[in-house]
Amino acid sequence: MYRVPSRRRNDVEPERLNLIPILDAVFIFIFFLLMSANFVKVYEINSNIPILSNVPVPKVIKKPLNLTLEIFNNRIDVLTGIPSRKAKSISKDGSGEYDLERLHNYLITLKGRYLYERTVILEPKVDLDYEKIIGVMDAIRMFRTTDQGFYYKDKKTGADVRVENLFDDIVFGNIKS
Amino acid sequence: MRTLRSIRNRGKRTKLKPLDLDITSLLDILVIMLVFLLKSYNSSGVTFNIPKDISLPQSASQTINTMGVNVQISPTTIWVDSKVVLDTKESTPKSYDRGGKRILPLYDELVAKRKMIQEVEKASPQAKKFSGIANLLVDKSLKYSYLKKVLYTIAEAGYSKYKFVVLGENL
Repeated sequence: MYRVPSRRRNDVEPERLNLIPILDAVFIFIFFLLMSANFVKVYEINSNIPILSNVPVPKVIKKPLNLTLEIFNNRIDVLTGIPSRKAKSISKDGSGEYDLERLHNYLITLKGRYLYERTVILEPKVDLDYEKIIGVMDAIRMFRTTDQGFYYKDKKTGADVRVENLFDDIVFGNIKS
Repeated sequence: MRTLRSIRNRGKRTKLKPLDLDITSLLDILVIMLVFLLKSYNSSGVTFNIPKDISLPQSASQTINTMGVNVQISPTTIWVDSKVVLDTKESTPKSYDRGGKRILPLYDELVAKRKMIQEVEKASPQAKKFSGIANLLVDKSLKYSYLKKVLYTIAEAGYSKYKFVVLGENL
């Protein structure tokens, strides 16, 4: 009663997937992405316009930082407090460029004391190139990945929240002069 | 042999199997292209026209651009939304007022833009509100003394925020 198994059963070809619809979708997706592709990465740096007001300054219990950076030909002066007092003077480095690394590190120590402060007034006193101003703004705006992290307690949740930016609210203080 | 050559079987010879294309390599290319395009995708939807004379400075900023009135400034020309408003070669002392601090043609154009946006805002409730944002595309060689005049003029025209457009470092 032994029967030789039929070969026909093995001859059935595996059914091939119909890739046409997925290829159509991929092609449409590519055209859409090509249209909205941004080959030159362009970003922005935010700055607020200073507002002048005749209203008397409100009384504040805590001393504000009132951070001001005055950029001179050979140095950057860091001023704090009301009335402003020079807290640090950062001269140019050996290559004749502003020592932005030292400035950045000093601002990190200030941030440690004033976690909620974000505003910095920028006052170039010399006719700087725009590129150099952007360099200074980069040094004062952001933490770098290697910088020390700062945390504050969220009042609602009680969780520790990381401080994202250094002094990112930049105001040009002398545009009227 | 006789059966194959018979008239009855002649039609069967023409039934060829459809050509089976191997699209694996094509799919590979498409996937690579998709990844590349997804990486360079601009989610902000903001596009800038950067004139030839303007070379933007590089910055470590990663902040995505926002919509606003675009002010392009080269050492010789000022544009507002790609429309020339001042050519320094043709400018006269009348182009400036308030002791040379305010650039009049730029001021007039910015005020006109603001009013136009505010009128559209009034006419249509679905229209975008006036954000007060001025996107500044400034040439990196421009001096602060000139930039100060532009910033002052923008502030005078009723705008509240400057956005300095810069090139990302990870090119």
